[in-house]
Amino acid sequence: MLVKVKSAALFGLNALLIEIEIDSHKGLPGQTIVGLPDAAVKESRERVKSAIINSKFEFPEGYFTINLAPGNIRKEGPLYDLPIAIGILASSSQLAADFEKLLFIGELSLNGEIRPVSGVLPICCSAKGLGIDKIFVPFENREEAALVQDIEIIPLKTLKEAASYLNQEIEIVPHKINIDELFNHDDFEQDFSEVKGQYFAKRGLEIAASGGHNLLLSGSPGSGKTMLARRFPSILPPLSHAEALEVTKLYSITGHLKDKASLITKRPFRSPHHTTSNIGIIGGGRLPKPGEISLSHHGILFFDEFPEFEREVLEVLREPMEDGNVTIARAAGSITYPAEFLFVAAMNPCPCGNYGDQIKSCSCTPQKINKYLEKISGPLLDRIDLHIEVPRLKKEELIDKNPAEPSAIIRKRVIHARNIQKERFNSKLFSLNSRISPKYIRKFCELTADAELFFNNAITQLKMSARVHDRLLKVARTIADLDDSELIEANHIAEAAQFRGFRQ
Amino acid sequence: MGIESYHLGLLGEDEASEYLLRKGYKIVGRNFRSSQGEIDIIAYNGETLVFIEVKSYSGRSYLTPLGAILKNKKNSIIHAAKYYLYKNKIKNVNCRFDVLAIYRYFNETSEIELIKGAFDAC
Repeated sequence: MLVKVKSAALFGLNALLIEIEIDSHKGLPGQTIVGLPDAAVKESRERVKSAIINSKFEFPEGYFTINLAPGNIRKEGPLYDLPIAIGILASSSQLAADFEKLLFIGELSLNGEIRPVSGVLPICCSAKGLGIDKIFVPFENREEAALVQDIEIIPLKTLKEAASYLNQEIEIVPHKINIDELFNHDDFEQDFSEVKGQYFAKRGLEIAASGGHNLLLSGSPGSGKTMLARRFPSILPPLSHAEALEVTKLYSITGHLKDKASLITKRPFRSPHHTTSNIGIIGGGRLPKPGEISLSHHGILFFDEFPEFEREVLEVLREPMEDGNVTIARAAGSITYPAEFLFVAAMNPCPCGNYGDQIKSCSCTPQKINKYLEKISGPLLDRIDLHIEVPRLKKEELIDKNPAEPSAIIRKRVIHARNIQKERFNSKLFSLNSRISPKYIRKFCELTADAELFFNNAITQLKMSARVHDRLLKVARTIADLDDSELIEANHIAEAAQFRGFRQ
Repeated sequence: MGIESYHLGLLGEDEASEYLLRKGYKIVGRNFRSSQGEIDIIAYNGETLVFIEVKSYSGRSYLTPLGAILKNKKNSIIHAAKYYLYKNKIKNVNCRFDVLAIYRYFNETSEIELIKGAFDAC
């Protein structure tokens, strides 16, 4: 008897329909799986057999051919266990159902329980377009699956439960969640009120958050660079529904979603260690998976100890920083993942960390400092709009007991500035100052007469490259927005130029 | 193979046949040989054609029945089964490989265990 059960395979952020055909005929006992299965899919034979027997079903006699169609796509991962088991039970008449509009995903454990798999959310998102009405998902994946509202999600704990449901012996209520409710809690453990002093750096972070500019924090050890960076998410505006869904999809593919957190409602903050490989940063694999830059989509990618990263790793960041996405090509196909992140780097000014410090003296030779800084190439540095020095705290600042300005207030100003930008760019492809394309830069960054004069002087004196020139204008635009000013004035340009002090 | 274990084996196969008959199996062949292997008992269990490997264990043995059916032995049984199907022109019949284990204890008692569908043909 031939049975067809539907499942899905992930290709980037899209899911493709996989039809699992199961044919049984009489003869010597055995099963084969065909249709380009990888090792995990081949192993499902053993899991399915044990799961069926341990769920008190009978494993049918005869020879089974299991075909995963279409045959030209490589099938990965253990998510086909459940559809294969369902198909085998159906082909031996142990259950009966119309499989036309049903989709199954799930890994089986040997005792017949259904285990969670990765990539459930993107599969559910694509399912409607594939003509599916009902999706059977592992119980532990139910929260992320239910983010897709227009499709029925049936959470399953065991194979037995699945069979009983399909035989209409039991009822399972489709899982539903209230998305708005998930957005309600909006608390951060860390707050800017805990950071004393560092007004210049805080102002820089506020500008960066408002306009989506990348930034570099440089200062002696213990001055608070990492502390500032970790609090950065608390001043960014909350994620919109659409953004949250995009981020959650990426986390679903990599299997980073835990049971409780179905939807990622906070902006991601990724801080990869400096030994991370370039594949780990941009993503990769035989069937490319998202890397750190995509996992920090709509959030922050933080590189602590910036110059300690391999030069190769830093260079791969260049294109995604400009484009807001990354295309990874492999033999299996090329996949584009979004990567619109805010880049934050922290570094010491020299290997010993005391260069430029007012109290401690630096013990590095000039050659050593040069070697240390050489790692960071000019083109990469060009892409970082704000270079912020974070000096050691003064004694008075250290003993000051008054809490500093809390994040909530800074965040309000940031949201206000972002709203101004959104209105200004309303129908364009971008919504942040840092993303203004060269075509529009003069249109949106209008200067007053004396600002123009001041800017012309700055160009010659600071020996600006064309890119730096554009970047400086964009930063000045953001500062003007924070100031509620329609045109960019001279003091906005001046402040923006202050943030480009590094190595110039 | 020592003469002792050879006789133990023969004794076991007789005992196994009786046991299978009691269980409703219809025995159609014994000690069927192909160039590469041998099947101890061939029987019908309802509609299903069953190839049965008999294993006798004296108290001295420390192997378990399935542990004793090593890969080579398994392959030789499968080879013989395929040859049997071919020779007798049997098609469209469900087949199964069973293992029947006889445990003999020092006090002259024995115990029989039948493992249905002990392995697959691939």
